[in-house]
Amino acid sequence: MEQFLPPADSLTINITLIAVLLPLAAAVINCILPGKKNKLAGWISTSAILTSAILSALVFSLIWNAHPVHAFIHWFTIGTTELNAGILLNNLSVLMLLLVNLVALPVHLYSIAYMGHDDGFKRYFTYLSFFCFSMLALVVADNLVTLYIFWELVGFSSYLLIGFWFTRDKAVMANKKAFIMNRIGDIGLLMTIIIIYSVFHTFDIDKLFGKTSIVESVLLLNRAGWLSPNENNWIVPGISYHLPIIWQYIAFAGIFLAVAAKSAQFPLHTWLPDAMEGPTSISALIHAATMVAAGVFLLARVYPLFNPVELTILAIVGCFTAFMAATIALAQNDLKRILAYSTISQLGYMVMAMGVGAYSSSLFHLVTHAFFKCLLFLVAGVVIHQVAHIRDDNQLAIDPQNIQFMGGLRKKLPFTFIMAIIGGVALAGLPFTSGFLSKDGILTQTFAWSAGKNPVFELVPVFSVLTTLLTAFYITRMIVKVFFGELRIAPVVSTLKINIDDGGWLYKLPMLLLATGCFFSLFSANPISAGHSWFLSGFLSGSAGEGSYTFLIPVSVTIASLLVIYYAWVIYSNRANPFPQRGILFDIACREWYFDTIYERVIIKPILFIGRACFWTDRRVIDGFIVLFAKAAILFSRIAAFIDRRIIDGFIDLLVKLVRGIGNLVRLFQGGRVQYYLYSMLMAIAAIFILKIFF
Amino acid sequence: MNILTLLIFSPLLFGLVILLTPSKWRAGFKYIALLATLVQFGMSVFIYCHFKTGPGFGGVNQESQFQFVQKLHWINLDLGPIGKMQINYVVGIDGLSIALLMMTSLVLVIAALASWEIKSNLKGYFVLFLILDMAVIGVFCALDFFLFYIFYELMLLPLYFLIGMWGGARREFAAIKFFLYTLFGSVFMLLVMVGLYLSVKDPATGNHTFNMVQMMNPANYDGGAVFSLGAHQTIFGFPARTVGFLVLFVAFAIKVPVVPLHTWLPDAHVEAPTPVSIILAGILLKVGGYGIIRVAIGIFPEVASAHAYWLGLFGVISIIYGALNALAQKDLKRMIAYSSVSHMGFVLLGIASLTTEGISGAIFQMVSHGFLATMLFFLAGIIYNRVHDRGINHFRGLAAIMPKYTAFVMIAFFASLGLPGFSAFIGEAFSLVGAFKSNAVNGELPYWMAACASLGILLGASYFLWTMQRMFFGKVNLKGGAVWQTALSDLNLREKITLVPLALVVLAIGLMPSLVFSKINDSVLALVQFLHLK
Repeated sequence: MEQFLPPADSLTINITLIAVLLPLAAAVINCILPGKKNKLAGWISTSAILTSAILSALVFSLIWNAHPVHAFIHWFTIGTTELNAGILLNNLSVLMLLLVNLVALPVHLYSIAYMGHDDGFKRYFTYLSFFCFSMLALVVADNLVTLYIFWELVGFSSYLLIGFWFTRDKAVMANKKAFIMNRIGDIGLLMTIIIIYSVFHTFDIDKLFGKTSIVESVLLLNRAGWLSPNENNWIVPGISYHLPIIWQYIAFAGIFLAVAAKSAQFPLHTWLPDAMEGPTSISALIHAATMVAAGVFLLARVYPLFNPVELTILAIVGCFTAFMAATIALAQNDLKRILAYSTISQLGYMVMAMGVGAYSSSLFHLVTHAFFKCLLFLVAGVVIHQVAHIRDDNQLAIDPQNIQFMGGLRKKLPFTFIMAIIGGVALAGLPFTSGFLSKDGILTQTFAWSAGKNPVFELVPVFSVLTTLLTAFYITRMIVKVFFGELRIAPVVSTLKINIDDGGWLYKLPMLLLATGCFFSLFSANPISAGHSWFLSGFLSGSAGEGSYTFLIPVSVTIASLLVIYYAWVIYSNRANPFPQRGILFDIACREWYFDTIYERVIIKPILFIGRACFWTDRRVIDGFIVLFAKAAILFSRIAAFIDRRIIDGFIDLLVKLVRGIGNLVRLFQGGRVQYYLYSMLMAIAAIFILKIFF
Repeated sequence: MNILTLLIFSPLLFGLVILLTPSKWRAGFKYIALLATLVQFGMSVFIYCHFKTGPGFGGVNQESQFQFVQKLHWINLDLGPIGKMQINYVVGIDGLSIALLMMTSLVLVIAALASWEIKSNLKGYFVLFLILDMAVIGVFCALDFFLFYIFYELMLLPLYFLIGMWGGARREFAAIKFFLYTLFGSVFMLLVMVGLYLSVKDPATGNHTFNMVQMMNPANYDGGAVFSLGAHQTIFGFPARTVGFLVLFVAFAIKVPVVPLHTWLPDAHVEAPTPVSIILAGILLKVGGYGIIRVAIGIFPEVASAHAYWLGLFGVISIIYGALNALAQKDLKRMIAYSSVSHMGFVLLGIASLTTEGISGAIFQMVSHGFLATMLFFLAGIIYNRVHDRGINHFRGLAAIMPKYTAFVMIAFFASLGLPGFSAFIGEAFSLVGAFKSNAVNGELPYWMAACASLGILLGASYFLWTMQRMFFGKVNLKGGAVWQTALSDLNLREKITLVPLALVVLAIGLMPSLVFSKINDSVLALVQFLHLK
């Protein structure tokens, strides 16, 4: 089954294979390593990911803007269907390969310090390496079945890491929720794969969605969908047009659910804030930069599948999610929850960008977001650790993640403060940052998309600009509350011992590495325009935006953002909060739009009730019927026994009694006395005569 | 000596040894039983390795393509004018049976290892165990309906005593319920079997025959016989062949079990000792699925094809209903029992699709579930042996005191809920692929069935993870307090030796499904081709 590959390409494939398998090897080695807190584990995983990062940089340089490479081996045959496993390297996959490694490497380093005192140090790195393996394999998978496999394994390793501290009830509730939510997406994806397979008879991503793909050629015939031939009944050979058109939308719904689950989009986003129960380094890698981006990656992989209606749905849902999550982030006080909602909001942007056709901008934002959000999480990790130190040193009963207790940390943690500013500015999308470049592209293309459409669609760009302003506001609020002013617990506790610092190089170096990715220079020579970025040229579809928007929008959005930031800085640094901490709007934002409450009441409780009802049915109705059957059988047998004893046996008894009675009667005649014999003889003769006379 | 015959009857020899060994050496019985199963497992491995594949070894309805065949005259009665009564001893395997045979022999080794927990009346226990062993292997090898039926019924007897004598508190009730339930199905099967016997003639000898392979060929039926394809006979006004199929299906559906014929299963599982639970869930349920494929569909293919919709529907109902029930359980073993109902629903759905993907997926799912159910029940048994309690709410935070045990529970749970990399994923996914494809291929099942069935995968994750979270995570909090905490020691060596191979096997066939598929492919293709010929 080995197909022909030029030697150079097969070398590339082998390098990729090593890059993907190294973290797995690290996970296996760590698994069998003795000792729960073996320090070696951290370095094994880190060196694996370092090597992997170097190799993937090499692969990236070989493949980027060159021809895609696809290699596979035969995996198994079921019936007559052959299943392959292989690697598909094109711009998208090598980009993700490199990105995952580049983000994972700092996080590994950081984790060595961050998790250094944890009892589960070795277990942590085993899981972490396993996650990296799954994620890397996911991005290079060449067919839908293997894609699905790693898709789930990524969710599984996320489950392990969210519930890393498994004695904490909140953590294990959160990982269960995360896995089940992701399962909803998984079955969606599975259904879509099955539908695609039954139409196109292949799982191969390259054949399906590549340059000269089946789906593309089908769509050439009929723009509205790949399920039915067009009016002229031109059909593409080898494709089964047997499904009703509704199944195209079901396939879309499946993909959408998968994306919504992994990338935390409405309505399946609620697991991500809860997933913050995991170690912060994990939140940085998995729940900000890589795994949650897998949904957007999937959209990019199967992009040709969608028709305009479906893309519009994506745009609307993405925009709604971005806006909703941003409003929630305004009212949260938990440092990590703010960042989690910020992640949801930014992922909303990416999905929306996919929906409006800004394919390359969406991926661009995925990359830039990975850097700055990961950086912000690492900052949060340092802050939380240090506040926890203050708490332990002074035996306070405070939540180290609550920003209400913080403040003034910029003096104690100067390096971390600078990093937070860099990350925050990139998130807010101010010029000279990478966030500006990517967000700018998305916003302009959203405006271009809505132009000429029904005015209702204008809401999408309007709300996305609004979200940008909200983003600027909440990130300013967060940074001001954490780093500016004075430590808020200081006035309350008189003898406060504060003995904290930025931490060693294992903390600083990773943040520094990520911070370099937050500036424009990595992506484009021009600080305020991504038009000529090497990045966007790597993807064919999607343009950098229409003429009239490219200037107006970035300038006005930047000015508005700066005003919002200034306003937020003024109100939060002066503690003159003009917003009432009550009212419907505050409640909605603070309670996260009541999604959890609604799901609990509308879905979870009814399902558990149905479960109990089923069990009741099982016991009472089905088994009840069986028992009734048994009882009826016993009743019948009793009746039979009664008949047997009283009627059948009774008849026999009667017979016996009759015989005995007759016998007794007859015995009387056999007395042995001659007179009686004579007498009875006379009686007999008399009887005969009487009978003779009368008859 | 034919290796299949040896495989079937070797346990009897060991059983005889145990029977003749004085009871004062009873400590050795378990080793003899283990040796018996290991010998059997060795023979299965040999058979598996020497099992030939290729288009010429499809089997199913071609008697010449079966492998390791032994055919002996068994009962020959000259009935004068009626003809000769001919019952042969025919054993042989094809792709439909090889995977299940292999799985069965490994599960039996595990069951023997789990029998260490049996403390009373060892001689009786192990003799019955080995008789059961012979019967289950026999069922998968028999090609003569009469022989099949004997093995099939012979399974019930030891099981009845094994549950009724070595079981839990309500063991007598569970045993009799199980026995009558299954007997109910098989009694009617006997009638169909006789009907088939009278309808089919061996083309070679001209006598009536019980040979199942010959029953699959419509040419072997007498012109006007009751089950003849062309005669259109009726029974109680219904087409005779439909009735025949229905009777066979119900008999096997009770074994599978298909909702609503499943209520013997939770009771039997909860009351049965661990090794018997393992055999019940691991092997006995598969006899049902195997019977549906080989006997019910094999002999009445056109009826199966006409009523596949209902088979699929019952499969979907089993999946969803079993999963919902599992969600409501408070007893660990009962939860696992209902999860079996749900997982076996995929088997029925896959079979009902009558596509290669579906039937292969169903067989794969049976193999996978055989190992996983074994693992799950063994794990449930471990905790029950330690503290004699299985209430899910009575435990909390077990991960902290039994880390190794928890690791295996996680493997078993995640493998069962269909995590890719483990075997159940392949089985479930391809059952669904087959179910979905079937509308286009043969029009048997509507599209929505696969979509509904996939909800079972979601519910599966829910009940397993919920159990995981309640029992194993969180702070340690046990109903029995400190007494339990000392009693709940982590895995011992025997338990590890039992669990490691199971975990490796489910991983191996999950990663390399060709271990199973390469052996069954030809037969499944032959079966599907045979179904479409009709």
